[in-house]
Amino acid sequence: MFEVLGFEFFRNALFAGVLASVACGVIGTYVVVRRMVSVSGGISHAAFGGIGLGYFLGIDPLIGATGFTVATALGMGTLQLRARQQMDTLIGAVWAAGMALGILFVYLTPGFAPDLFSYLFGNILLVPQDDILLMAILIVIIVAVVAYLYREFQAITFDPDYATVMNLPVERLSLLLLVLIALTVVMLIQVVGIILVIALLTLPAAISRLFTTRIWSMMLLAVGLGIVFSVTGIWLSYLLNVPSGATIILVSTLAYAGALGIERLRQGD
Amino acid sequence: MSAPVIEVDDVWVRMRGHSVLEGVSLAIHPDEFYAIIGPNGGGKTTLLRVILGLLAPSRGVVRILGSTGAEMRRFLGYVPQFRTFDFDYPITVREMVLSGRLGHVARRPRRYDAEDRDRTEEALETMHIADLADRQIRDLSGGEQQRAIIGRALVGDPKVLLLDEPTVYVDAPTEAQFYEVLDRLRERMAIVLVTHDIGVIPAHVTRVACLNRRLYTHDTNEITPDMLEAAYHCPVDLIAHGVPHRVFSEHSREE
Repeated sequence: MFEVLGFEFFRNALFAGVLASVACGVIGTYVVVRRMVSVSGGISHAAFGGIGLGYFLGIDPLIGATGFTVATALGMGTLQLRARQQMDTLIGAVWAAGMALGILFVYLTPGFAPDLFSYLFGNILLVPQDDILLMAILIVIIVAVVAYLYREFQAITFDPDYATVMNLPVERLSLLLLVLIALTVVMLIQVVGIILVIALLTLPAAISRLFTTRIWSMMLLAVGLGIVFSVTGIWLSYLLNVPSGATIILVSTLAYAGALGIERLRQGD
Repeated sequence: MSAPVIEVDDVWVRMRGHSVLEGVSLAIHPDEFYAIIGPNGGGKTTLLRVILGLLAPSRGVVRILGSTGAEMRRFLGYVPQFRTFDFDYPITVREMVLSGRLGHVARRPRRYDAEDRDRTEEALETMHIADLADRQIRDLSGGEQQRAIIGRALVGDPKVLLLDEPTVYVDAPTEAQFYEVLDRLRERMAIVLVTHDIGVIPAHVTRVACLNRRLYTHDTNEITPDMLEAAYHCPVDLIAHGVPHRVFSEHSREE
């Protein structure tokens, strides 16, 4: 069972899973407490447009996805702050338009898009060494920004009005947080794919929230849970020879259901 | 009389084609306990949001300590409406109160220092919630949560404390306790209390105004029938056994 650790692809997969879990735990915590789950869903599906654009221009699809998600995040954030549009409708539009653009770009690109499926559903067992390095750099950036702005992010996610009265740059901080979500989403596409991103981003944090009383402790537990889920999922998918992204998500969902059950029992006391 | 801490000068607000505030002017002086009453939808919260700089008026200005700059807002302590609060947020009482100092922290990255922490402990004591400091806010009773919210407003050393419908979700004994707390705070700052519930106006307010798009005010702490009629646009029975004022309104309350 452990001989598989001798393969570089498998070690890479585990490494990618751990890195993704760090980003998920830290950023997912804000997504859950600020109720930005559907915004994050919109951003992740818009990423497909970027992947299509990458194919079309002949560049790395992940670079296309990064540009696209960051632009989408900034655009949605600005509209939300300025225009006070109906946010759920806006998210639905961005969600579908991103996917539609991706389909068009892939259609317009001559030849065959070989890894399209793995962008949609993830394939952590195929993550190349270069991408691991890229993920590691992104994690360092995300964790550094969050450490630097921990108190500001706490203020704007807890009570944005009060943060405004205290003269914090709430608008800029909100946009920055959305950009961090976009970067995290791009990282997760490798691991579980566009369609399943939202689950890995939110489930560890949602479970963690039930058992913690502070943002930083919620982050730490969420990171730990994410690592357990992704490693378990990767291992199970190898043993059972089934897709890894889907397995990670199902492991997380089962754990979430279990955690809700435990919470129910605790409150019943 | 000393210079006003807050001056609202001919403020008009229009939202989605509707006029919410029309030519509202008022001045709040350092030693005042100012109550603003009025029906739901009368613009009370809007007026507070304009004072706090959360909403730009279509016309008119707000001056805090004589200046219109946004940085003046740190002299305001704000206690928002209870139901707008996210009590599920993972934050302890101490952290929440401490976060009220954030506007005063000049260092980057923002880190709290000994003074911030001392102020926080002081505010926790003032609000009688020091023993609850390490609990998560969702594990507190309604009255305790409210005191935590006021504690957060106090650590910033405000010149004025602005309270939006502070007693709506609080039971009667807690309410009495709440007014005792306000009485003690009055020595340190002006207080502006906004409410739709005329029954809660405490005895020690120094001035009452009625707000329903326009502000109807007297230079006394009396609510007069003509003020109420003007504000509520309907006949209101006023039974005033001296103070406290008690009013039974025929006006059906929305919400």
